[in-house]
Amino acid sequence: MNVEQLKKEETLSRERVLGFIARHGAIIGICGVLIIFQIIEPRFMRIENILGVLNSSSLLIIMTFGMTMVMSVKGIDLSIAQVADAAGVVAAMLILSGHNFIVAILGALLFGMIIGILNAVLISYLGIPAIIGTLGMMFIVRSVELTMTDGAQPQILFTLPAARVKDFFFIGQESVGPVSVLVILTVAIIIIMYLVKERSVFGRHMDALCGNVKASLLAGVNVRRVFAATFIISSLLAALAGIMLVSRSGNAVPRGVETYLTDCFVAVYIGTLVSVRNKFNIIGSVIGALFVGFLSNFFTLMGMGIAYKNIFNGIFIILAVALGVLKSKINS
Amino acid sequence: MSKREKLKSADVGNILLSRGTGICMLIILFMLGLRAPLFFDLNNIMTVLKQGSVLTMIALGLTTVLIGGGFDMGAGALVQFTCNLAAGMLIAGTSVAAVLTSGIAVGLLIGILNAFLVIVIKIPTFVSTLGTMFILQGMTSWYNDGKALTINAIDGFSVLGQGRIAIVPVIFLIVIAVCVILNFLFKHTSIGLRMYATGENAAAAKLRGINTSKYLLLSYVLSGVILGFTGVLQCSYNYGATAVISGMDFLIQALSAAYLGSTFSKTGELSVIGTVISGMFIAAMSNALIINGISNQQISGVLGLILILSILLTVIKKREIGQVTIF
Repeated sequence: MNVEQLKKEETLSRERVLGFIARHGAIIGICGVLIIFQIIEPRFMRIENILGVLNSSSLLIIMTFGMTMVMSVKGIDLSIAQVADAAGVVAAMLILSGHNFIVAILGALLFGMIIGILNAVLISYLGIPAIIGTLGMMFIVRSVELTMTDGAQPQILFTLPAARVKDFFFIGQESVGPVSVLVILTVAIIIIMYLVKERSVFGRHMDALCGNVKASLLAGVNVRRVFAATFIISSLLAALAGIMLVSRSGNAVPRGVETYLTDCFVAVYIGTLVSVRNKFNIIGSVIGALFVGFLSNFFTLMGMGIAYKNIFNGIFIILAVALGVLKSKINS
Repeated sequence: MSKREKLKSADVGNILLSRGTGICMLIILFMLGLRAPLFFDLNNIMTVLKQGSVLTMIALGLTTVLIGGGFDMGAGALVQFTCNLAAGMLIAGTSVAAVLTSGIAVGLLIGILNAFLVIVIKIPTFVSTLGTMFILQGMTSWYNDGKALTINAIDGFSVLGQGRIAIVPVIFLIVIAVCVILNFLFKHTSIGLRMYATGENAAAAKLRGINTSKYLLLSYVLSGVILGFTGVLQCSYNYGATAVISGMDFLIQALSAAYLGSTFSKTGELSVIGTVISGMFIAAMSNALIINGISNQQISGVLGLILILSILLTVIKKREIGQVTIF
């Protein structure tokens, strides 16, 4: 065997190793991290703990879907956490003022939809860059919310007579058989979003928009409408998540959901690793959101504060995208 | 006759486009001031200049990155980190010179880290700076352990943020000095002009033989230095550092200032002078609104509105869809 052959084989095996890392690195990495957590903290993989994480991750999964939709057409929505927050407050205030749960839920969803339409008009029809438009909207919504609640007064529902809030709390606190309503609702949303994003004409139009705006315009896609629709969907999903949170915890604390925004980003970017071409996708986002859920749960179990969670979030987001860049290099 | 009239209306349009922002700013401040004459008091104006200085410095750091074609989600987080660092070091009894150097050094390091992630690893700017933002926020809360770090007045340090020469605040003079230096760099040297070229159209700049990575690196490093220094300034101005994570609030104000500043030019070009004027305008308006009895909570909403409107002025003519290409 001469030297050249050896070299060739060496590069081949190097490529193979790199390719293997790129393709399966994410899943191996996620499993590895979870196993390390289990070794450090034996309570981690107990069934009650896992069910708890699933329950609390359901909100994040739903919010992450909104972000996934927007980001897969090269938009971004920084206002979702604030919308979820404010929608929760709206629902709580409606209940407090004596309305029944249907009015509260519809009111909160309507609020989300209005913000979504505003975002959509500003960004898709007037052409404001999404990052600026939604950042501005985030602060406007926060302002409205703080004014509405008279300076972040928590809206407490669990002290109300049980008859008045029983229906509203059904979403967040009851379970059908062994499975909680929250999880059932989340699975339903996962299925719906999967069909919309990956299996519908609308989803195909979104793919086209991500690839090339001019080409999709020429191909007859209503570019503005598709782009706008993603913003409305994301705000609606955020409002739904807000309702679920308030229904679960029984009170709405203004600015309590804001940290979810950063978690969403981590989840979405980890999710891209599941797809072959680093695209934002629904299944990946579910996995990403669950991973973030387990991560926060681990830090809570260990009694480590927000500092560590932030640092690890940062490291994971950079690692995830770096791995994605590596993958696309090897694919090409 | 009709031709002349057309010309006239075109002139009016031009004047409105190029001077519109400035005129609007003056009108807004004047109207707010009319309701509260206290606003026009010389002392109050100087206070406004002092209040707006930290924000304007952050906006200058951000403008530097934006001119080079980058973006920085972590600008506010970096300032907060160096602010906490400076406070912690001063409490431990470190000398002022060492505090200043370490603040700037940390900024420099983060700038290099951002540039490394963007240029070498090729992570899109939005994500990489988002990652560093998380890390910085985490490090801040790890460093201050959730407590506010307050310092007493220290000779030679407090003068940075609190001192006055005659009646003019020192911190404002620092802002002006930084602005003059940056303006010279960007408008009168080939380095600055090449940074502009890189930011406007990287592909075209590359074809003209400009080493775009070098200028992007330079803009990140320069902005890191400015932001690191700003953190130390803020520590001096606030007598320490707060524990509340307010990176995003800084970010939106600084972005507003930068984009509002870009509306001074007809083509929507970012400029450091525009940024300084807009930063001071935002501070003045917040001050005037508070004097008029608007609460703190509503001001962030007003700022969000300004951010949206100012960017609208520059994009309304093109009316593309607002896709983001930085990730």
